[in-house]
Amino acid sequence: MDRLKQILGFLVIIFVSFNLYAGAADDVKTSSDDFETSIFEDEIYDPLEGINRAVFGFNNVADKLILEPTAKGYKKLPAPIQSGVGNFLSNLKLPLVALNQLLQGQGKNAAESTGRFLVNSTVGIFGLIDIADDFGLEQKEEDFGQTLATWGIGDGFYIVLPLFGPSNLRDTTGMVMTMMTDPVNLYASREGDSWAIPLRTAANAVDQRSQIIDEVNALRDNSVDYYAAVRSSYYQNRKAAITNTDDDVLTPLPLISIEFE
Amino acid sequence: MQFFRILIIIFIFSIPLNVFADEAKNWLKTEIDKILYAYQNNDLPSENRFLMIEQTINNNFAGSGIAKFVAGKSWNGASKDTKLEYIKLFKRHLALNIASMMQGYSNQNYELTNTNYDEKNKVSLIDMDIYSDTGSIQVTWRVKKSKDRYFVIDLLVADISLVVTKRSEFNSMLKTVDYNLEKFNEKLIAQNDLSYSKLLN
Repeated sequence: MDRLKQILGFLVIIFVSFNLYAGAADDVKTSSDDFETSIFEDEIYDPLEGINRAVFGFNNVADKLILEPTAKGYKKLPAPIQSGVGNFLSNLKLPLVALNQLLQGQGKNAAESTGRFLVNSTVGIFGLIDIADDFGLEQKEEDFGQTLATWGIGDGFYIVLPLFGPSNLRDTTGMVMTMMTDPVNLYASREGDSWAIPLRTAANAVDQRSQIIDEVNALRDNSVDYYAAVRSSYYQNRKAAITNTDDDVLTPLPLISIEFE
Repeated sequence: MQFFRILIIIFIFSIPLNVFADEAKNWLKTEIDKILYAYQNNDLPSENRFLMIEQTINNNFAGSGIAKFVAGKSWNGASKDTKLEYIKLFKRHLALNIASMMQGYSNQNYELTNTNYDEKNKVSLIDMDIYSDTGSIQVTWRVKKSKDRYFVIDLLVADISLVVTKRSEFNSMLKTVDYNLEKFNEKLIAQNDLSYSKLLN
């Protein structure tokens, strides 16, 4: 635990020092005259690009050799089993989701997530069945990375973590905070069942990967620079998660001009 | 009385927006069905299937505008011939990307759910829910009207814009050739060939 605190402290220090530079570099604006566009980030602050690309290459091989085949195998399981596993894993995240909603001042959402956890853990048989959805208690995701962003902390530099994939300094800090505070993981450690923690992480990875097999393959097969495509996708996805963008009308996206030649 | 007046005004103003949005939705459904039909028709040889999809995409996407946007700052320094070559290559690249993505959805049911009209930018946003046995994924189409017909200007999967991703990706690759569009075209040809062979196999 002390070791984890040291790591967290170290990450926070690095994060604060780099964040000052990152703020300016993230905010490159388009200014070309030959298209209409709204403001958006053209470049992502990636000072470790060389190392990141190497880690990304390693992750890509690991994905092709292990994760994707496992996810494809998992996809062949009967749908109720897949749903049950997915629901169970999502339910375990809910205490921290509720905490983060509270930290972001989303009292109503926190109450809904708590209700969701209670209903699904009891009536939904340890979270295997998503009964709460039928009661209008929708699944919402919030994590420490999003909470830090809501508190005004910038992205920091882009980083590709071995096996965990794309992230940035703020979200990595958030991930470490999740590891340190997750009640299920803490309980498993205390009971001497630490083996369950990596198992849970791996199960989450397989479950999530199984939901985006086609999308990842389409991106991988058709990108002139797969690394840059994933990096951009990660930032867009996180930005939408942080701002809780449900309505795409509010998303600042390019206004493409229509031309006829 | 005041309340009814306000209600009538709101009603009158909301009619054209809904009409635009519904019209765009119906148009989009027809075009998506054309693509899915190509995938579901097992009698079609793979090459013909892709040609059919490519034609549908090229007819309905604002390919030239997207190509220009994605090229970013390399556009201004390129010659006319290079630009035309790039647009041609980009349109194929776009078709390969969308065909590859839609291939994965070809056996699934879909529904066009919410439609919003962004009055400020004159863009319709049409949500498409694609259902699988274990859940659903949402794709949002951004559609703009021009010269009495509709064009897709972007599509978003899980809040990720295809156009923004492509621009970021191309920008990264263009950097390696000093934003020289002519040199970049060579890379695009190679990528298109690779994507095409993967799609067909």
